[in-house]
This record gives sequence, structure tokens and C-alpha cells, in this order.
Amino acid sequence: MSKIICSAAIRGAHKIVGTAEAKYEGALKKWGPDQEIGFPNTTYYLPIIYGMLGIPVKTLADAKKVLDKCKKLLPEPVSDKVWLPYLAPALEAGMATFFAEEIIEAIRYLEDPDFYTKGEDPLPDNIWLGAADDVIMRKRGVEFVDGTAPGFAAILGAAPTKEIAAKIAIELQEKNLYVFMCGDHEGKTMSEQLIEAGVQIGWPTRLVSFGPSYMAAVFAIGFATRAAMSFGGVKPGDFAANLRYNKDRIFAFAMPLGTVTDEWYANAAGAINWGFPTIADTPIPQILPTGICTYEHVVSNIPHDQIVAKAIEVRGLKVSISKVDIPMSYGPAFEGERIRKDDLYFECGGGRTLGVELTVSKDMSEVEDGKIEMIGPDLDQVKEGDKLPFAMLIEVAGRQMQSDFEPILERQIHHLVNYVQGIMHIGQRNIMWIRVGKAAVEKGFLLKHLGTVMHAKYHQDFGGIVDKVQVKLYTDEEKVKEILELSKKVYKKRDERVEGMTDETEETYYSCTLCQSFAPSHVCIITPERVGMCGAYNWLDCKASFEINPTGPNQPIIKGECTEPVLGQWKGITDFVNKASRQKVEQVSAYSLMNFPMTACGCFECVATILPMCNGIMVVNRDFMGMTPCGMKFTTLAGMVGGGNQTPGFLGVSKHYICSKKFLLAEGGLKRVVWLPKMLKEELAERMKPICEEMGIPNFADMIADETVGTTEEEILPFLEEKGHPALTMDPLM
Amino acid sequence: MGLSGIEIFKKLPKTNCGKCGVPTCLAFAMKLATGKAELDACPDLSEDVKEELGEASAPPVRTVVIGTGERAVKLGGETVLFRHEKRFENPPAFTLFLSDKMDESEISAKLTKFKETSYERVGLVLRPAMVAVKGEKDASGFMALVEKVCNDTDAALVLMNEDADALSQAAKTCSNRKPLIYAATMENVETLGNLAMELSCPLAVKGNSLEELAELSEKLIKMGVKDLILDSGARTAGKSLEDQIIIRRSALMKKFKPFGFPTIVFPCEMTDDPMKEAMIACQMVAKYGSIIVLSEIEGHSIFPLLLASMNIFTDPQRPMAVEQKIYEIGATDENSPVLITGNFSLTYFIVSGEVDASRVPSYLLIKDTEGLSVLTAWAAGKFGADTIAPFIKKCGIEEKVKHRKLVIPGYLATISGELEEELPDWEILIGPREASHLPAYLKELSA
Amino acid sequence: MTFEIPKVSYSGKIKEIPLGRGENIITVGGESCYPFHLFEGAIPHPPKIAMEVYDKEPEDWPDTALEPFADVAGDPVAWARKCVDTYGAEMIALQLASTDPNAEDTPADEAAAITKKVSDAVDVPLIVFGTSNTDKDTEVLKAVCETCEGKNLIIGPLGEGNYRAIGATAIGYKHTVMASTPIDINLAKQLNILLGNLNVPDDKIIIDPTTGALGYGLEYCYSVIERIRTAALIQEDERLQFPIIANFAKEVWKTKEVKLSEPEAPLLGDQKKRGVLMEAMTAQCVLLAGADILVMRHPEAINLVKESIQDLMIKGEG
Repeated sequence: MSKIICSAAIRGAHKIVGTAEAKYEGALKKWGPDQEIGFPNTTYYLPIIYGMLGIPVKTLADAKKVLDKCKKLLPEPVSDKVWLPYLAPALEAGMATFFAEEIIEAIRYLEDPDFYTKGEDPLPDNIWLGAADDVIMRKRGVEFVDGTAPGFAAILGAAPTKEIAAKIAIELQEKNLYVFMCGDHEGKTMSEQLIEAGVQIGWPTRLVSFGPSYMAAVFAIGFATRAAMSFGGVKPGDFAANLRYNKDRIFAFAMPLGTVTDEWYANAAGAINWGFPTIADTPIPQILPTGICTYEHVVSNIPHDQIVAKAIEVRGLKVSISKVDIPMSYGPAFEGERIRKDDLYFECGGGRTLGVELTVSKDMSEVEDGKIEMIGPDLDQVKEGDKLPFAMLIEVAGRQMQSDFEPILERQIHHLVNYVQGIMHIGQRNIMWIRVGKAAVEKGFLLKHLGTVMHAKYHQDFGGIVDKVQVKLYTDEEKVKEILELSKKVYKKRDERVEGMTDETEETYYSCTLCQSFAPSHVCIITPERVGMCGAYNWLDCKASFEINPTGPNQPIIKGECTEPVLGQWKGITDFVNKASRQKVEQVSAYSLMNFPMTACGCFECVATILPMCNGIMVVNRDFMGMTPCGMKFTTLAGMVGGGNQTPGFLGVSKHYICSKKFLLAEGGLKRVVWLPKMLKEELAERMKPICEEMGIPNFADMIADETVGTTEEEILPFLEEKGHPALTMDPLM
Repeated sequence: MGLSGIEIFKKLPKTNCGKCGVPTCLAFAMKLATGKAELDACPDLSEDVKEELGEASAPPVRTVVIGTGERAVKLGGETVLFRHEKRFENPPAFTLFLSDKMDESEISAKLTKFKETSYERVGLVLRPAMVAVKGEKDASGFMALVEKVCNDTDAALVLMNEDADALSQAAKTCSNRKPLIYAATMENVETLGNLAMELSCPLAVKGNSLEELAELSEKLIKMGVKDLILDSGARTAGKSLEDQIIIRRSALMKKFKPFGFPTIVFPCEMTDDPMKEAMIACQMVAKYGSIIVLSEIEGHSIFPLLLASMNIFTDPQRPMAVEQKIYEIGATDENSPVLITGNFSLTYFIVSGEVDASRVPSYLLIKDTEGLSVLTAWAAGKFGADTIAPFIKKCGIEEKVKHRKLVIPGYLATISGELEEELPDWEILIGPREASHLPAYLKELSA
Repeated sequence: MTFEIPKVSYSGKIKEIPLGRGENIITVGGESCYPFHLFEGAIPHPPKIAMEVYDKEPEDWPDTALEPFADVAGDPVAWARKCVDTYGAEMIALQLASTDPNAEDTPADEAAAITKKVSDAVDVPLIVFGTSNTDKDTEVLKAVCETCEGKNLIIGPLGEGNYRAIGATAIGYKHTVMASTPIDINLAKQLNILLGNLNVPDDKIIIDPTTGALGYGLEYCYSVIERIRTAALIQEDERLQFPIIANFAKEVWKTKEVKLSEPEAPLLGDQKKRGVLMEAMTAQCVLLAGADILVMRHPEAINLVKESIQDLMIKGEG
């Protein structure tokens, strides 16, 4: 921690504790030790002291005990010669500062009962609201817990001008934050500046004028401390739980505007205890490394037009957007709309023009949240029936964002854009196609609004991984070409990444228990090379799903020691499946049809089963309605293997997994496959090629029988013999 | 149970001869493993294999059949304690209690009610299954009543008499009906055991405690009686629950053979209040009663009981489905709204209930989705525009209404465009996502 | 002969949740065995029945259901009193049905005022149901929490979409919440985890797994309740060890079968008895599956179920 800051904080703390002692002595002389003191209408006494120390300060005599503690807490002033990490002493100095300030404020209530108004709104002759009573605290505190107000900004001092003050306040309001104001800078206070600027202040507008002195900061911290006791079930005196609750739940930060005095430093150091960082507009030293706070501790010299965005980023606050602000209706009911030729106003992509959509992740500093740029003409500048090239580049950033999540986010564009009434979206990547209907254009819809949609929905649906979203829309041909080039590079990289991932390279696999509602003991294990049997969830999807919904159906599993490499059994996986199946499944193999095959849910894309006479395996997909050589149709098979049971010899598989190198490894892999429906074989043809080449039988696909060869084992066996199918000479299946 | 399909398959002849009714031995093995086929269906099994497989694949609760022909009642065959684990196999037989102490008119009235009580739901016929005839006076009166009941109904019978001779006599006269003989006790176990074997009729066994019941049952098994029905003697709700659970658990968890049979319970002997009796019967439906003997069959109690039994005995992995057709709800005319949904029975019941509640006469089109709910069916390709459109054209709705507006479930909004293309004459309206919002929607639509 | 009773070894126990306040606290939960399995575990608190009261006069009830309340149907306070005074209700379940935006859309403050009056009028525990409209319930139930501070109401349904807002308010004003999920054990567990993360205390959570009526999907609810109970008692699923509430009366009494008169459907017997049994048997089934609180309507159905609970709570002799 910066030595300058620590030294100043400790100096400030000494001054403040000194002031408190003097105030106390004066009050003691005047009223005696039994005089009652406290904040109005609260059962939390002096809340910081009560919350941290568990001491209910009811009288002046009680205050004395706390002052004694303050002195013990106060570290020695820092000497120039010593060069030590100062974090701990500074934090303790900050804590002592708050205790002392609460006592000073309590004595102020005693000496000058009308110094603060009591209520939610400022009065014409007194704008200072003082400590929030329990009624206000509970009503407003709820908003901190349920997320309607994610937190607060404690502003000390004043902005350079009333206009800047108003701008900062409104920007904070827009993020639903409370603004707690106290202290002055060169005689000016933020609260007064707002009134001068015509901004209404008070609890109802979330702009709270606590007090003219920096000491009123304790009302803000006291509020947070009480919230933890009231809503967090934290017991008075359990300071660790209280501080942790605030760090994790209350998205608050200190924002000193103007010269940072020793006393301010002391308060800022105190706030760090609660996990509340400081974001300053002046060039004070920074404390960047993380530790107590979620991210940085002190960030300084931030221009006023960026200070709110910076504060939100540093505190790790999630932006919440409740409404998609476009001139059209928005929702799933419009997903299936078609825009026909007669209704068509404008279109792009779909082979008619160049078209591409791309979502990429960027550094936090490279993305300005909510920025939507339109480069080239928008719908208000085109005629009916026009076509233009189009590119949408969505850049996202987030502390939890990983480039692995890009394709998952990008895949959402299709349905999210389709939700707009009067818009049709088809395809993805560089084969996307958008049609805009006449009705939409009449209502004032612009392509730019697609940016609004994506910004809002990414925040709403993917808040867990996305902190910032900016969107660039292009209809300028040159620019579109640039994005197209960029996209090709990105896609190539992504494809390589997916191909490069193997079950050996990753230590974590994922579970999927989405289907347990109807298949109670079913647990799908999803590995990089084994897509879920429904075909809908691959390893990356699960990873993202977990980040977004940490208590959801996709949980990470450390696979642990590999006990059976060929069958695909790992200790961690076994334990997990046992627990998640509620002891119904004792062992599971990821790569075997015969030995402890995975349970099946009912939503599998295909079923694999044995053909004993052919010593091989057949796979049938859901769409194939006919009879198969095993003597059962897909529907019969599905009835046999579904419902969360382990059925040796029968396994639900996804189409993708059939072409995986780990496909039924234990039984010999793709080489064992003797029968596939024609439609499935054709669908998989491209992806099967490299595997066949690798096995040294490039024409292997031609050896696999289909329904044109036969739908009984007796019919296909001669075909297999004629082709010299490898399965016939492999080890017996059973 | 316990053998997997593959393990069974290894013992089969592997000829794929098809004589068992399925094309391959593997498919037959799978049917055996899931209890959907009998070993006897395969003509080529050696006795050794039959015994081995029969032992391994027999359900821990024996399947017992009472009665003959269409009205034969299959009981037991249970393999699980909780229906979600797999499914309950054979729903309980609600049984009307008649006694030779009742006067003739009462008996006739009760029998008439018994016979006429039958409901159709989801393509299933729900009705009380059996009649129990108890002799409490002299042997001739009992005989007469048994004969009367035999002549009056084809339903399966329970013959009850403490007088073993009277019971034997009655059983012999109607042994071709395969009645349940009730009941072997400490006093008459050998006589009745021999009778049951002689007549090839199922035999109920009644103990005064579970211990006694186990002892009797074991004795009968040793004698060679195969089809038993258990009565633990409990005549209170609480004790019955306990006994039923212990019997089922012993059979399943301990493979305790003496308890590996269906049970008979007597709500009619546990209270004089018919409403309370129905409640106790309901308890037995959920917790393991196989033959539930009732003092009366009245629509207001037997109908809910049959519903409960249908609910509890539904296969949790196989959705119930209703028939694909046009359902007219209320006094429909050519202007009535037209709605479509899938044929999952619950979907049908809930949607039709809400449409009914809206008091807006409507046509509800139920399309065959193989019993899948709307979204699942759509995801499985059974409820897309390509299959809905031909159904709309063929089902005959176009002759019934003048308008061409079709309300589809809110969750299917995504297919509206495609459907409009497939059905160019029709306007596709997106209904609500939840059935409970249908009344408001329909009222607005028809306003 | 001797045989061994095959007992299940239970490793878990349902949490005990005190409902209501002061001397009138009623505790639910606490079971250490399957429902009524008294031969192998303890059931310290037998299941309880809460009687329904509606905030506005119901429009679509069959006469057979309305008849016992005909004199009080427009007045929730009188209705609640009648339930307690005349019918001996152990709890009241206030259904704020009129707040549904698809119905009368009664504003939140009005609904809260009604709730307050009802809660002042009776001293048994009060359960308050919204209408499962995520946004409206949030508004209504937050207002209810505030207005009825300190009464330890049982409020719900809290779903995925509003558990934070309502849950936070319930914490602040110290009420109990009903975590509601659509017939899915994993979703139920997940919501309980989320409520725990929000710091809702463990003795303030009741599971509402969604309950359908007899003949209308009851089997799904039955099985999900059995599965939740099994997970809680045997599989050490700590986040499912909460009492279960079943809110089915409104489902039963809207089915076609309770509305048909005897002349319309002679084979269905007496209309009133049929309705009563449809409700009572739905209750009987969910009781045997593991429900702790039953939300019921008809006094005669309630009496039948009460008797049934009593009978099943006697560790019976032959």
C-alpha cells in the first residue's frame, strides 16, 4: 500500500480521534457519564460501533469504552525511515476513524438536536438529513439486497462546477446507485451544487445529503453496516461477517472530489475495510493490487466524464437493463415472424449483399459500455427495396469474460434479433440474413437499434460474464469487407481452439442434470470430445452456462485420477455421478457402450446399440422412422434406454460424438459402426472423412451398411463381409 | 429383476427367428428385461435356461391374475417402492363388498351401480373391477348369492367365508371363473391350500399379525400354492399403512418370498362413514393396496378414486396421450375461435379446462404429438409447421368455421412464420404461453 | 415365524419452521422419516391445514364450494374469522387473486391493506399467496411485507424471477417465504440455494413444489414431493430439507368434474360429495408423498383430511 496514503490516513485518524476525545470530555463535563446519546429512531445504536464491536453505545460512559479501543487501534504515526507494508495499520486507523466520528456525530445530535432534519427530504432551511432512521434504512436497504439499487457512491467534497456535479449525480442515478454526499471542497458541497443546478435531492431521488462535514461519511458506512445486520443476518460484533457481506453484496465506493486531506484519507482507509474502493478525481497515489476490495483499492486522477464508468468497473458493478429501448415491440412472440416480399423494405446479407455478424471479447479499457456506432447509411437514408452490405461487430468485455465464450454469445444474435417485431433474421456468422419490414421502418426502426437490442440483452441474459458491451454497425462496403476479413480470422482461430481441445488437455469436465425432472438419476458428463447426448450442449456451452448460472444444471467437475483410460473413467467423475444421481449410478464410463455406459435422458439425438451377429454397432437418429437391424425402431429403443437408467449395450449419443476420437473407444470406436441410416451417414460424411483417413481406411464410410442394404442383421452381414468391414475381425463385443 | 437386456440376450438362442413376436433376440431380451414380455413367448428355450432366467427376471411381487376373459384382473408385478423409480405396474382393483346378510334389493341396487359405473378417460376405461361376496349366514344362502353374482356380472370375484366347507363348495361351482378364495388362516390353511391347488384358483391368506401372515404364506408356498394374496389383518388406517409398507419393502429390499404377493385391504371394515372409507381407500391406492374392498360404489367417491389410481399408476416416463381430433368445447358455431395444441393428456386437460372456464365456445384441435408436451414435441420435430399444416387441412376444421384464424401456443411463436407459409389461407395468432391466461385471451379475442 | 422389518436408515431431518408469532406459533417440519412412517422415525409436528380466504368475492366457484362461505365471501376479514371461529382453522391462506393483472389488477397497497386487516383479525399463522405473476407479485408481496412487519407471515410464491426482491424484503421485515418452482426437484434445490445465498435464514423457507389437482397432473406433483423428501431424508440433500406446502384447492375447484351437477353427469354421483372428495383425495395423496402444509377450501374436505391425519398419526394396533 502506498506509503504516502498510509501515512496520511494514520495522521488523519490521530487528528479525528483527538477531536472525538475533546468532544467527549466537553460533553462529559456538561451532561455527566449517564447522559444518553445515539442516533434517532434506531435499534442499532451507533451502527458501526455496534456492528464491528458489538458494543451498544447508549450513554457517554459507553462512548468512553469505545474511545479507549480507538486509541489501542491507532497505529504509531509513520516515520520516514521505516519502509513497511502499511496496509494493516492504515485499515485499523480507518476503523478507529469511523468509531471516533460516530461518537462525534452522536454528541452533535446531543448538542445541537436540530443540526440535521429528520426525514427523507431536505427542508427549505436545512438540507442536511443526517443518519437514516430504521424506517428509511429498511425501506431503502431492501433495494440493496434485491438489486434494485446495487449500491452507493459516497461522495466527499464537491465537483469543480455545479454542472459537473449534476452530470455525475445523474449518471450515478441512471445506474440506480444511491449517492451519499458529505464534506466540502474549498467551502463547496456537492449537495448545494445539486440544488443550485436544479436537481432535486433527498432519499426519494437517491441523492442523499448526509451532512456538511466529511465526518458524515459514517452515516453512509453505518447504513451499510446496518444493512448487513438487518438483511444479512449478521450478528452485532461479528465484524468479519459484516465486512464480508458488504464486500460481496453492497456495491459501494468512495468518490472524493477535490483535495484529499489527511482526514479524507483516514475515511477512505476505513472504507477499504468494507471492500469499498476509492475513485478520485485528483492525482493522489494509486493502490492497484487487489486484496481487500474485489479489484483495485484506490484509483486516481480520473476525468469527471469518466469517473462514474471507472467507479463501476473498479467496484465490479453489473449494469442492469430492464427494458429494450427500441420503437418496436420486443419478445419471443415475434421470433417466428416472416417478412415476405410484399412487406419487405430493406434487406442485407443472405447472399444478396455481403453480411457478417461477429462477437469478440476485448480488454476492459477498450470497450465503452453502451456505445453504439452506425457507420454508413441507416434505414432513414435508404429507399424501399434497397439492399446494403452489412456488418455487426459486437465487442464485449468483462472481468469473467473469456474468449471461449465468444461463439456462445454470438450464437444468441439470431434469436435476440428475431425477437424484434417486424425483423427477420436467418443464419449466423457470414451467412446471416436480415430482412426489415415496412411496418418496422414506419415506426422509426433503425439498424442502429440492433445495437441497442444486443447491448441490452447481453447485459440481461449474460450479466454473469459480460460487464461492457459496445456495438458497431456498418453499411459502408469497405468497412464491411474489413469486418468480413476480421471474422474469417476469428472463426479460424475458434475452430482451431475447439479442435485442439481434447479430454486429456482439460482437467475439468461438466455435468448436465437438466433432464432430471423426468429422468431422475440421469447425469450427462460432457467433455471436450464428448458433446452432451442431446447435441445441444458442448463443453464450452457448459463452461459458460456455469459462469452465468453458478447454481444451475451445469456444474464443473474436476475429473481427478483416470482409473480406466479406455473406458473413460475418472475418480472425480465417478464420485460426482454417484452423488448427482442420488446413489443410483455407481460407476460410469464416458467411452463405453458395454461397461457402465452413461445413463440416458430421453432427449438424445441418436441411440447406439450392438448388432451381435455382425460383431458391430449401429447408430440410429431420431428422425429415422423405419426399422433397424437390431429389431427395434428408434422410438422403441428410446423407450428402452431413456429415463435415467444404465442399459449396457444401449447408449444415447449426439451426432457430433459419433465423429469424435473418443467415440466408444472401449469398443473400438467408429471402426465398430456397421450400420447407420442413410440420412445420418450423409450428414456425417464430411466429418467422418478425417477419422477414416486416420484409421487408414479412407473409404470406410462405404463399408457401413444402411437401410438400402438392409434392416436386419441377416441382410447386412453379407454386405459387410463383401466389403471386408473391420468389425468382423475385431475382438468379440461380448 | 436385475438382469440387464444384454445378460438375458446371452442366454437366448440368438436365432432372430421372430417366433416370439419381435424381430430379434436382442429386442426380445430387452422386452424381458423391462418386464414387457414373458419368457414363454420363446419356444426354443431349454428348461434350465427358463428356470434361470425366470428366477432372475421374476418381479419381487408376483403377478397374480384373478378372474378370466376380458374382466380378468392382473395384480402385483411391482418392482419399485416409489413410482418415480420406474412405474407401478398394475393399478388396484376396487372391489364391491356384498354379504348374504344384505337384503335382495340392496344387493341388486349395489350390483346395478357396480355394473353401470364406467368412465372413459384418455382412451382408458376406468371402472371398479371386482365383486367380493361374503357368506355370514348359512352355506345355501351364500351359494345362492354367489350364483346370482356370477349370473349378473362377468367381473372377477372374491369368495369370502369363514366356513371352509361352504367356501369350498362355492369355489368349486365357479372355479371356471378363477375367483379369489378368501381366506386361509391358521385354522384352515391346509384345507384351503389344497383347494386352491386343486381348483387352480388364487388364494388369499390372512394373518392376525405380520408374523402370522409370514408363517402362513411360507407354509402355502411350501405346499406349492403359487398365487397368493396377502391380508395382514390390519383394520385401521395407520396400522394398514405400516403393514403395507413393510410387506412391500420386505419383498423388494429383502427378497422375502412370503411377502412377495399382492395384498387385499378392507376400507369397508375400517369405518361406517362412506366418505372416510373413500379416503382410506385413497391411501391404499398410493401405498400398496392391490384389492381394495369398498362397501359401496358411488360415482362421487369411486370416480375420484379411479382418478387417483390412474394418476399414481401412470408410467412416469411415458406420457399419457389423448386422441387426435377436433374437440368442441361449448356451443360452437362457424365463428368460434380455433386453437391447437399437442396431445399430452395433461396439456389437453388443462387447456380444455381453461377454454371451458372462459365460456367462449371454441374448437380445440388436438394434434398427435406422441404424448409429448408442446415444447418437447416441437423440439422433437413432432409439432412443427410441416406436421401441423397437413393436420389442419385434413382434420375437417375448414368445413366447420368460416374464418381462418388459428391460435397456436405462445411457446410456439417461433413457427408462426413457417406455418403461415404452409397455410396461406390462415392467419396465425400467437396465444398465451400459460393456459391459465387463456380465458382472458379468448374473451378479448371474441370481444 | 420371525422376520425382520426392513427399516430405512435416515441420515437427514426436515428443518423445523416456526410459523406465526408469539403464543400462537405453529411449528411445521421436523420429520426424521417418510410420511407417517412412525415405526421407524419421528414426526414431531403432524401436517397442518391452512384454510383459503380470498381477497375479493370469487366469481367462478361452484355453489358447492361457495356455500359454506356465502355469508362472508365479499369480506376477507369476516371470512378469515369464520374459518377460525366456526371451522377451527389452524392457519389461514389468503389468496390475493384479485391482484392478477389479468383479473381486477388490485393495486399493491390495497392488497397490503387487506392483508393487514386479515392478519390483525386472526391470530393463527397467515399464509399470503400472490398470483404467480412475477412482476405483480413482487410489488404486492413487498408491500405486504412492509405493512405486516413483525407478523411472520408466510409469503409467496417466490420464483426465479422475483426471489431476490421479495426475499430481501421478507428478510428485512422478518417473514417466512415459499420458494416456488414448477414441479422440478433440481429447480427447487437451486432456488433454495439462491435464497440461502441471499441470506434468507433457514428457518424461514418453505418449499412450494407446485401442486396440481387429482386427474390434472397430480402424479407429477406427487412424485416430485416424494423425490424431494427422499433426497432430504436419505440422500443428505441439505438444501431440500425444508417443509413442503401444497397449494391445490384452487386447482381442484376449477376442474370440470367438480362443476358438473348430478343431472348433467349422473354417473359422477352427488356433486358436493364429489367436489369434497376430489379435494380431500388430492390432499390425501400429497400427504402421503410428504406435504407438511395443505392449502384447502371446503370445510368438509378439511374435516376428512384432519381425521385422516389423526388416524395415520396413531401408531396403530391391528
